[in-house]
Amino acid sequence: MRYREALNAALREEMERDPDVLLMGEDIGVFNGAFKVTAGLLDEFGERRVRDTPISENTIVGMGVGAAMTGLRPVVELMTINFSLLAMDQIVNHAASIRYMFGGQVKVPLVVRMPQGAGHQLGPTHSHSWEALYLHVPGLLVAVPTTAADAKGLLKSAIRDDNPVVFIEHEYLYGQRGEVPDDEDFTVRFGEAAIRREGSDVTIVGISRMALTAARAAKTLSEEHGIESEIIDPRTLRPLDLDTILTSVRKTNRLVIVEEGWPHGGVGANLAALVQEQAFDDLDAPIQRVTGADVPMPYSKPLEQIAFPHEPQVIDAVVATFKDRP
Amino acid sequence: MTEIVMPRLSDSMEEGTILKWLKADGDAVARGEPLAEIETDKATLTYESDAAGVLKIVAEAGDTLPIGSVIAHLDGDDGASTKAAAKPEAEPQPDEEQAAPAQPTTEAPPQPDAQADPSADSAPATPAEPPRPAAPPAGRREGRVKASPLARRLAREHGLDLQLVTGTGPGGRIVKSDIEQAAKHPPAPAPAETPAAPEAAAAPASTGAAAAPASPPTAVTETGTAKGDVTVQELTRVQGLIARRMAESRATIPTFELRTEIDMDACVALRAELKALGGDAPSYNDMVVKASALALREFPRANGSYRDGRFELYGRINVGVAVAATDALVVPTVFDADRKSLREIARETRALAERVRTQAVTPPELSGGTFTVSNLGMYGVTDFTAVINPPQAAILAVGALARRAVVGDDGELVARHTMSVTLACDHRILYGADAAEFLARIRALLERPLALAFS
Repeated sequence: MRYREALNAALREEMERDPDVLLMGEDIGVFNGAFKVTAGLLDEFGERRVRDTPISENTIVGMGVGAAMTGLRPVVELMTINFSLLAMDQIVNHAASIRYMFGGQVKVPLVVRMPQGAGHQLGPTHSHSWEALYLHVPGLLVAVPTTAADAKGLLKSAIRDDNPVVFIEHEYLYGQRGEVPDDEDFTVRFGEAAIRREGSDVTIVGISRMALTAARAAKTLSEEHGIESEIIDPRTLRPLDLDTILTSVRKTNRLVIVEEGWPHGGVGANLAALVQEQAFDDLDAPIQRVTGADVPMPYSKPLEQIAFPHEPQVIDAVVATFKDRP
Repeated sequence: MTEIVMPRLSDSMEEGTILKWLKADGDAVARGEPLAEIETDKATLTYESDAAGVLKIVAEAGDTLPIGSVIAHLDGDDGASTKAAAKPEAEPQPDEEQAAPAQPTTEAPPQPDAQADPSADSAPATPAEPPRPAAPPAGRREGRVKASPLARRLAREHGLDLQLVTGTGPGGRIVKSDIEQAAKHPPAPAPAETPAAPEAAAAPASTGAAAAPASPPTAVTETGTAKGDVTVQELTRVQGLIARRMAESRATIPTFELRTEIDMDACVALRAELKALGGDAPSYNDMVVKASALALREFPRANGSYRDGRFELYGRINVGVAVAATDALVVPTVFDADRKSLREIARETRALAERVRTQAVTPPELSGGTFTVSNLGMYGVTDFTAVINPPQAAILAVGALARRAVVGDDGELVARHTMSVTLACDHRILYGADAAEFLARIRALLERPLALAFS
């Protein structure tokens, strides 16, 4: 099953399971969604529960917040994470804060789904990765599924959760296939990282698509450098399964963090701080970060390709924890 | 050519004695090979070469030299590179060679041959590799050692001096594997006491340093005196240190002693119970160490020093445990003894005593004590007075534990396990009443030892 189909299955199952679940977003109904995640759902569940909206992100999310406060479980789709900046007021000032502002009397069980990621020559306004922005905000849960199974399991958990969830999908991953349990009760709990590959020499934390990039790099590192990498996919950034990462670092004594977003204030910057606070005496090398380039995403294909991490950068960073760069 | 200098092997080291060269003059030496055994004020350490080359010995075995003095040279094929590493800016020519091909102003395709020396005649296709850090400078390194946090922790745990470990990580950083390597060849496994008499016969004074022995030089200098033949032994550095410190203690510290009998029945019962639980049961001495440590918490001056007209009170409670070693007495330290469990103390003192016996104990393990426990009970000594280990405030001397007749509560005679302990105190910092209370606290803790087991 493809990642997008897994998401579609999660939405369908949860809508069947709970009549309070409804979808809102641009082109999600008649057009089946910009990335076809909501395909078929309008026909199945009707216009009351699958609502096409105008191009007005702050309003769509605001409607979601209001619906969630009344007891519904809305899932809002934004066409890309880049457009979510238009809805920052609703996401940060309202969705994330309302439960606190109302002293816990109101819940906001809202899911905001949106894809991110570079590589399609869509320029800076469509290609950025902003998990770090949402990780920054207390009150939001942040999911970054990499595999089809996790996409399904995490989305089902997100819909059932009483907290607002920022659910970050990846444009490149929509077409990726993977085994997905068709059990309707299958969910993936937030705050549980997945160890994608076991290894003894270095821990690589890969966020979203970068978990796949890291896995490919791990193969080369093993074959050509004799370095066995342990690949950890955190799956959710908040809550973060820091224990799994620390346990791995205590075993390998080295950590490389790979993310598509910008370096300053990034997920890796934050994680590096947490790890050095708690495992300083277990580190045998400085923590390395592999991040997107510190520039707005270029349109030019070659420039875009070197502006986000690929295997060679991961391999270089890992090797640099063992010896001098040539 | 690389100069090898007397390394600094401990914080307090000012000079060292070359006990024995492990390589002969003219031998080829590889980096990391043991070069010499060097005795410091605290221990005997094997010094490994930081560079490769042919050894030219300058200082003979037996010589005592201040740190930094040249003890040998290493000559050889890679001599140039080692020297370049030691003094990166000393040799201008190689730099120019390296730099020339990169200079954009150099005419046309740079010809390295043009200015290279004859040895570089094999038509280099590409500019030479950038100068790589060759062997690290010989001897001790200056300044902060570059080591990973993990390597630092492991070095602490192994009692290794980072100054002596060669780093192989990026930029010469000392990493875990370097420590593991160094731990496999501990720098201290000292000579398993040179057995032979022959070399002991040479008198250092008469033969210079020629056959200088590793063990204390011994010589028969006078025969047929009224006392028979006189054998003179030079002191090892450790023996010299003991002599100096003990004399200093007796001469400068106004000492008074307090003695008490401790009812050890409860400790005997506790030990039996711990033994029944399996594993290594703590010894009575471990219990004394723990009780002292807990009592020291309540009596900060007992955990201090009188120094230069002031009291120094220490934040950590580090109890030294006197251990007899070959021809010496050393006091390895149980750091933070108040915060360690009985079993931890037991395990640690056992390991330390073993390291003392095998002479593998390292200077960091012998320093930092704030109080000392000395036990001669195992020799059947009923009680004794120990000499304060300056600048500490006190030392506790522990006698033999035995069943003795005691007058019981109802006036009848009963057999109880008792033990005599003697606290020697520096009266400049620890006064009679304080010391008595401190000692009473130790006794109370040992007579009701549950606190020892549970804190």
